[in-house]
Amino acid sequence: MKKQNKYFLFALRSIGFYLLMMLSMEASAQDVVADSTAPAPVAKKKAVKNTFESNWIQDNQSVMVPIKGTLEMDIQHRFGTVNKGYKDLYGIYAPSNIRIGLSYAVISNLQLGLGFTKDRLQWDVNGKYAIVKQNKTGGWPISITYFGNIVIDTRPKENFVTDGDRISYFNQLLIARKLTEKFSVQVAPSYAHYNNIEGFLDADGKIQPKMKNDHFAIALMGRYKLTEKTNFMVNYDQPLTQHPMNNPHPNISFGLEFVTSAHAFQVFAGNYQKITPQSNAYFNQNDYTKGQFLIGFNITRLWNF
Amino acid sequence: MKTKFVMSGIVIFLISTGFMAMEQPKKPWVAPDKSAKMANAVKSDANSLKEGKALWSKHCQSCHGKTGLGDGTKAAQLKTEPGNFTLAATQKQSDGSFYYKIAEGRDDMPSFKKKLPEAEDIWNIVNYMRTLKK
Repeated sequence: MKKQNKYFLFALRSIGFYLLMMLSMEASAQDVVADSTAPAPVAKKKAVKNTFESNWIQDNQSVMVPIKGTLEMDIQHRFGTVNKGYKDLYGIYAPSNIRIGLSYAVISNLQLGLGFTKDRLQWDVNGKYAIVKQNKTGGWPISITYFGNIVIDTRPKENFVTDGDRISYFNQLLIARKLTEKFSVQVAPSYAHYNNIEGFLDADGKIQPKMKNDHFAIALMGRYKLTEKTNFMVNYDQPLTQHPMNNPHPNISFGLEFVTSAHAFQVFAGNYQKITPQSNAYFNQNDYTKGQFLIGFNITRLWNF
Repeated sequence: MKTKFVMSGIVIFLISTGFMAMEQPKKPWVAPDKSAKMANAVKSDANSLKEGKALWSKHCQSCHGKTGLGDGTKAAQLKTEPGNFTLAATQKQSDGSFYYKIAEGRDDMPSFKKKLPEAEDIWNIVNYMRTLKK
């Protein structure tokens, strides 16, 4: 419990630091006034662009919603933890987890998608909507995007009592600001719900839940552009809900992102292996204090229709 | 089984020859008059060049090269000539002509009007392309 309190205090301090940065840093670096002498055909740009350059920040979503008509294919791969060393080549030959997903920006600011994850044979249907965007001059100082999904666990029926037990939900608000041309930050509170959580029989023969059905968490992340096409990214996920047992561990991840016209490639080290956000939030037992890191990568391919 | 094998071979052959048939000889690319005469809507200032450079790096550099020589990492795989933007002969084209070619694309050159739906972005690239002249 003391350890969890420590994590919670760390999370609060991190949020405080983030908010302080938001208030204190000048936004002028990227807030360039559009040229007023420009001829009529070009509308003055308002929304800040490229706060992040991919849908993903490692295991979390970014605030970005691709432009209308963009089809995206995602391939996400998480190796095993590095702890066995050379025996499984630092997790590269350990059992891995994979998700393949497709998403499409059906209208401006709205993206719908689906995917399949190897872990628990999970199908996910997801939606992402840009509620407000950071403006260059005046207007909103931050961008806010909602991300939500419904996941269906399609393992054989003997794993469940009713079909409803297969379903879980995830909701997240992504709040981001591009602080300078190179540096962007995001904070992302989230809420996950599992219809069914594992239980156990106590000494009186009564069923007791190991975890609660609802789980709150918060994530903090940042991006720093090293070159026009290469970014350094860092991310921290903090569970907030205290469960009776099996409390999930926080996640620290950091790595590089390489962006081209039609691709983004992210390679990183982190603690999360489950890929679907609610599984990560609920079931991560990789402990960074024990060095239980693993290598992961995300590849996105974009087509514009 | 044998029939499936033969059929697979035929399909692969047809697809391969189809792709070969798509190879096109060099041909001139002239923007329509109306587009070529279109005035540049964005002043070439420091901000425009900065934005243009960033867009060039992300969308153009892999084929056209960092300095516009047409020597990007993908250039060798192209069936069409990526051009040399350092040459006066290439740079004599109008801003509107460059805009048209970026927006519409042709053969290996993709159309960017959907990927870059804001006209200002394309004009920024055009402005940056002017700085590539030697």
